[in-house]
Amino acid sequence: MSDTEMGGVTLGDQLVEQTNAMDIHSPPATSKTAASMTESTLTSRRPVTVEKPTPYTFDLGNLLANDANPVQLSTSNPEETLAANARDAAQVLINQLLSTCELKSTTDGVHLVLPAPSTPLPREKSIPAEKAPTKWELFAKKKGIENKKRDTKLVYDEETGEWVPKWGYKGKNKEKDSEWLVEVDEKKERETGEAHDARVESRAARKERVRRNERKQRANERNARKTT
Amino acid sequence: MLRQVKPKNARAKRAMEKRAPQTHENPKTTLFVAGQKTSQILKLATADLRTLKKPFVESFMKKNDIHPFEDASSLEFFSLKNDTSLIVMSLHSKKRPNCLTLCRTFDHKILDMLELYINAESFRTLQQFKNKKPAIGLKPLISFHGTVFEDPNQTKWTLAKSLLLDLFRGQEATEVDVEGLQYIISISAEEPEEGKTQPQIHIRFYLIKTLKSGQKLPRVEVEEMGPRIDASLGREQFPDPDMMKAALKKPKGEEPKTKKNIDMDIMGDKVGKVHIGKQDFKSLQTRKMKGLKRGRTPEQDTSMADADTDDVSADGDSPTTPKRTKV
Repeated sequence: MSDTEMGGVTLGDQLVEQTNAMDIHSPPATSKTAASMTESTLTSRRPVTVEKPTPYTFDLGNLLANDANPVQLSTSNPEETLAANARDAAQVLINQLLSTCELKSTTDGVHLVLPAPSTPLPREKSIPAEKAPTKWELFAKKKGIENKKRDTKLVYDEETGEWVPKWGYKGKNKEKDSEWLVEVDEKKERETGEAHDARVESRAARKERVRRNERKQRANERNARKTT
Repeated sequence: MLRQVKPKNARAKRAMEKRAPQTHENPKTTLFVAGQKTSQILKLATADLRTLKKPFVESFMKKNDIHPFEDASSLEFFSLKNDTSLIVMSLHSKKRPNCLTLCRTFDHKILDMLELYINAESFRTLQQFKNKKPAIGLKPLISFHGTVFEDPNQTKWTLAKSLLLDLFRGQEATEVDVEGLQYIISISAEEPEEGKTQPQIHIRFYLIKTLKSGQKLPRVEVEEMGPRIDASLGREQFPDPDMMKAALKKPKGEEPKTKKNIDMDIMGDKVGKVHIGKQDFKSLQTRKMKGLKRGRTPEQDTSMADADTDDVSADGDSPTTPKRTKV
């Protein structure tokens, strides 16, 4: 690395001139690389292994290599040592990745499957609290009731021969609201003394079920807040 | 603390859900804040760090009169408002020249902080190295050199390692493209010697070039791409042990359950070990031979009615059971 010898960087007006002077151009294939490969030229093979007194430790999940060997930088050319260290680490890390990780070839290139990171790093936020079970969930667990899998919201309407939604827009649960002809429940009419309308009644019952469910939801939320 | 408000529309609800604590966390966002006074070096350094940290970056353009080691409440507020858990604060003063403070938050409270005083003489920017830079958002290779980083006790250096690793590691990934291994961040420190000043931390960024080696593994060469940062470590604030413990907790059910007794042998075949209970030798059917049959016991002889049935069932060892005698 040809490190330009510049004094203190006085930046400001002279910045433009100075930056040109401080520019570091990538070195051509110089003697440095050749020197480090003297051995390899003998065998016509570039060495890919790195020998260090203390072996590296890895955290492949973070693509991290730890080199516990003491670093000694010369005062004249510290950059060369740093670059050599970095090269060794990169070499060892890539060797380790290619030899231990599973390779997966996909249409967008060859992928390395990384293990989970092992270096403990703190989380950003605390782990979210688990949601408190609702009253129904507790009951279902006690009774051993399991969730029925509901694939679709459509049901077959035998009269029209079509698939219609169970609820919602044009839902099956609304068909009683718009029957063109309904039977009058005379007994009920006699009891209440009012004209009985099955359409109104069915709609009211449906609305009440929704409200009831909302009440239950609120109660569950309230209980969850109390327990935590 | 902000008021806990109920979202009024679906967009606000989605945004709030995104910010709420999650089991699988998003990558940490870094916020760059400038103090009341900064220097050119700091401006260049933070600009380079921003480029390297993209796209997980937020930055403030205006100056803020904050001294994190005196009162970090403003930083906590910024962390909360911007949903950033890493903060890089730049502040220049005569006493602490070119000071870059790395802060980390947990639940929007300051977890730990460390000051880096950038050495102005050896500092070089990204642009001063004339070569091709890696694409944004790539996961870098990281290496730490030096014994100080491997200290089992909590020191400034281990804190620096943890913070820098958190700052540079990028997105957590289960897979990386081999083509994406383009640069390495090498962080080194010399041995501290007694009687001398603390050694500097050298942060270097190198491009990785792979060459054919004639073997299966490639030969790797590096080329510096900048920035080049030498810094001495300043003041630090270690994390509160309780807070750190909470921050290091792993969510339940994260680790895959190991399946017992199922192995892979050298050939890659799946091998299972099956445990069966102890064999009951009493019920074992051996070869039937006339000579092995039990003879009639004298008691059985007396009860004539049972004699025939016993002969057939061939378990003569049970003397007349009460039930049988009834019959």
